[in-house]
Amino acid sequence: MKKRNNDSMAVPMSSMIDVVFLLLIYFIVTQKSEISEAHLAVNLPSPGRSSKDTTKPQLLELEVHTNALYLQGRHLSDEDVSAFLINMGKQNPDMTVMIKVSMSARAKDLVKALDYCSGANLTNMNVVTLK
Amino acid sequence: MKKHREHNLETPITQMIDIVFLLIIFFVVTASVDEDVVDQNVHLAIAKYAPAIEKNDPRSVVINLRDNGSINIAMQPMTLQQLQQMLIAMRQQSGSAIPIILRCDASTQYRYIDRIMQIAASAGLYRVRISAMVDE
Repeated sequence: MKKRNNDSMAVPMSSMIDVVFLLLIYFIVTQKSEISEAHLAVNLPSPGRSSKDTTKPQLLELEVHTNALYLQGRHLSDEDVSAFLINMGKQNPDMTVMIKVSMSARAKDLVKALDYCSGANLTNMNVVTLK
Repeated sequence: MKKHREHNLETPITQMIDIVFLLIIFFVVTASVDEDVVDQNVHLAIAKYAPAIEKNDPRSVVINLRDNGSINIAMQPMTLQQLQQMLIAMRQQSGSAIPIILRCDASTQYRYIDRIMQIAASAGLYRVRISAMVDE
């Protein structure tokens, strides 16, 4: 008698397993590997931001052209620019990097410059357009 | 006799269901809901040093910029005027702290990026970020 009671109360396992497996397959199929993205800050000049200190900030000019970087007017290889910026970042992390971008430069060139600054812990950057 | 044999061959359903439910919960939790904001035609530039973002600001506006200069937000194509109007409306609604994430193709010319940055600045939004793929 007890067994019969148990039988009548049983959950319909096979249908539930069907549904559960369908859900599982759906999520496995739609799952995408997480894309790891970085967001590189571009400091746009805002009207409310004015420097209160009167000391002249130390400026480093980095020109960005198509597949070419110019540091203080000198054409350097990517490795040299990166090494120089890392060195600068260690010596003077408050230094401002003025990134001047040519209109014909590509996004990857700008990303490269911003990335090198980020790698050197230089957070004071200004992106301006090279006319 | 037949019934007895069936019982012996039964799979351990309870444990299997446990595992399957755990897997489902895992996939539900990790499934990202906002994938429609990402334009698959935009191939981001690669960043070697910049750290990967851990958490996205939910207020951020993601602008996709293709290599031909065309703009879309959540796959909705936009003209520059429409973008400007939208950004102005967003600024009036939520203030100037809204971050703008610019997902531009690696080969997009800077002139197109500059246009969008100028529009953002004219709308009063100054927190612009350029998205890049982290080199792993």
